[in-house]
Amino acid sequence: MLNTALQSKQEQTSLYMDIEQSVKEAAYETNGILFISCAGGPTYLEKQVRGILESQPGVNPKIWGGEEPGSLFILFPGQTLDAVHFQGLLLKQRLQESMPDLVVRMTLTSFPEKKQLTQEVLIKMEDSVKQQASGEIHIFTREEMKTMRSRILIVEGDATVREFLEIRLQMQGYETAVADNGLSALETIESWKPDLVLTELNLYGIDGLPYIHHIQQLQVPAVPKIVVLTEQRVEQTISLCFQNGVDDYITKPFSPVELDARIRRSLNSLRMNLQGLNSQHIK
Amino acid sequence: MLIYGLFATYYVMTVNVIYFSIMTFSFRNIMTIFRRAAYSKYNTLSGSELVPSISLLVPAYNEELTVIENVKCLMTLNYPTYEVIVINDGSSDDTLGVLRREFGLEPLPNPEMRNSIDCQPINAVYHNPQYPHLYVIDKPNGGKADSLNAGINLSHYPLISSIDADSLLEKDALIRMARTYMENPEETVAIGGDVRIANGCVIENGAVKEVSLPRKMWPMFQAVEYLKAFLGGRIGWSSINGLIIVSGAFGLFRKDYVIAVGGYRGGYPGEDMNIIIKLHRYMLENKLKYRVAFCPEAVCWTQAPDTYRILSNQRKRWGRGNLKNMIENYDMAFNPKYKVMGLLTMPYNIIFEALNPYFKITGLLALIGYTMMDMTHWRVLAVFWLINFLSGYLLSIGALLLEELAFKRFSKLSDLVRMMLYSMFKFFGYAQLGGLWRIQGHIQYLRNNNSWGTMTRQSWQEKSDTAKPA
Repeated sequence: MLNTALQSKQEQTSLYMDIEQSVKEAAYETNGILFISCAGGPTYLEKQVRGILESQPGVNPKIWGGEEPGSLFILFPGQTLDAVHFQGLLLKQRLQESMPDLVVRMTLTSFPEKKQLTQEVLIKMEDSVKQQASGEIHIFTREEMKTMRSRILIVEGDATVREFLEIRLQMQGYETAVADNGLSALETIESWKPDLVLTELNLYGIDGLPYIHHIQQLQVPAVPKIVVLTEQRVEQTISLCFQNGVDDYITKPFSPVELDARIRRSLNSLRMNLQGLNSQHIK
Repeated sequence: MLIYGLFATYYVMTVNVIYFSIMTFSFRNIMTIFRRAAYSKYNTLSGSELVPSISLLVPAYNEELTVIENVKCLMTLNYPTYEVIVINDGSSDDTLGVLRREFGLEPLPNPEMRNSIDCQPINAVYHNPQYPHLYVIDKPNGGKADSLNAGINLSHYPLISSIDADSLLEKDALIRMARTYMENPEETVAIGGDVRIANGCVIENGAVKEVSLPRKMWPMFQAVEYLKAFLGGRIGWSSINGLIIVSGAFGLFRKDYVIAVGGYRGGYPGEDMNIIIKLHRYMLENKLKYRVAFCPEAVCWTQAPDTYRILSNQRKRWGRGNLKNMIENYDMAFNPKYKVMGLLTMPYNIIFEALNPYFKITGLLALIGYTMMDMTHWRVLAVFWLINFLSGYLLSIGALLLEELAFKRFSKLSDLVRMMLYSMFKFFGYAQLGGLWRIQGHIQYLRNNNSWGTMTRQSWQEKSDTAKPA
């Protein structure tokens, strides 16, 4: 069970990598992306969509099937936002002509520059298509990118501290998940893809430094930011942590206000990366 | 004949007086132990720079099935600065191979081995910078003591702790011991930990998740026995500084003094008792103030033998090592120079521990003789036996009470009832077997006096068997 779940995660990741690769190879700087999600959609959906799109001249779409049935990823090289929107409307109408009961949810956007299209953005887009309530066409904007709720994974062995952090971060408007030991934390990072991991070093299951190292080796499109919140105050350990790519290190007892500020700063630097201002590329 | 009867009666009385006095000392200390465990901030301590660094020494002989889990457990302890040194004692299985593969270890080009203590030359030291606190020594087979000595020679820190490769430490165990050490770092030379039976407990990720009593008979008897020995006995002995043994499964030592007494002695089992006797002797002969402490809140879980064969072998080995230690150090007994050690601990261990089974047997024979010759009435015998039984049972219940006062590790009522029942059953067979095994151990000692090295290795093999069913 776990194995197949892991496998599909890896497939998903390689899918994003494929899309990213195709964009890099595309002749145009501008590229449109359309995500379709039809819950319980038929298996021949992909064929049908392909048929609709390929009947028009000048559109050279690339289509990938997602891991869930009825979900599709389409790349329109060289198409601007209005063109992609037109394709979306067209697809929705045609699909609903043949299958009136089908609820078609779409998220689409167009990237004026190649380097703006990163795996992180794709993940956000896929999330937004899943979160849509009704069959609408959603246009994904850069502003939305900024206001998207950041995901924070809290890894902490002490139940009280864990609950405190969870409540506090949720009140700050973050989406949170928790893990109480290193091994389940690593699994959650792979499956849930948090933006930031707020973690204790002293955990069951795996030693602190190898654990940090493991997080960075995980098969995820974007390595999460790591903020360590721990009792461990030995200087050597702290400097080793920073050497291993930890973004921030806070010792307990901690000030919650300071913690908020540090988390915000780490997430901001992540955003800067996403917006392509600082196009340092991870993997 | 009659004189012997009187002697036996006094013997039994003395042994019970000693038992109860020691138990009283344990009770006097238990509330202190409870409070220091409850009010210490172990989490804060475990991150502090001020806590002394420790080298964990883990001798491993043919442990390929369990060694990874144990090392992982040891690498995730709540402790600021420590290192784990696994010593592969010439295993014939793939112990070294599984370690190297799991942790990506490579031989160090120039391992810095000090020659503080004599030990066999080693083959190599393995290390991986990604696991900066793990070292593996590979050496030809030389027994547990020799492995520990090799570990001491590599260790980088001022405190050493010996841990059996078939035992699991609780996450807080080491910091709890260090807290005891920090109470009095000048005088503390060794600290013993509490060893408990892991059979029956739920173990996950190298940690005991749920405490439960063993389901099988042999481990159950040992659980009762360990509880009595550690809580009822060692707390009391340590309070008068007369502790004669720190369990080899989990103990902490000052490295400088271990080196000063020449490290662990090879060739015989019982090296854990031997090192403590040597430390006592060294400190007393040099008139240094010292203490050998016991820290019952630091817990190590061990796999107890669960078959008759393995258990009897273990006990014979203990008997053998114990006798050797007593013979080697008999001069300490009744020597006022050695204070509590010379006047109480050594005489007690020689007369009431090592020789106990012989007195028991001759006493029994004498009683049978008296009855046969109509020198006594069976009622007297029954009363005699009943007193003996009740006092023994009272001691077991006392240990259980200590446990419930300070630690409360057994959450289920049924576990407590089982403990009380087994404390009773112990007197019908198990206690007698204990005597028999000890005598068999002594016989082994007398027979194999010259060919000891191989016997030790043999026994290690037996010991690792016990870890495997896990």
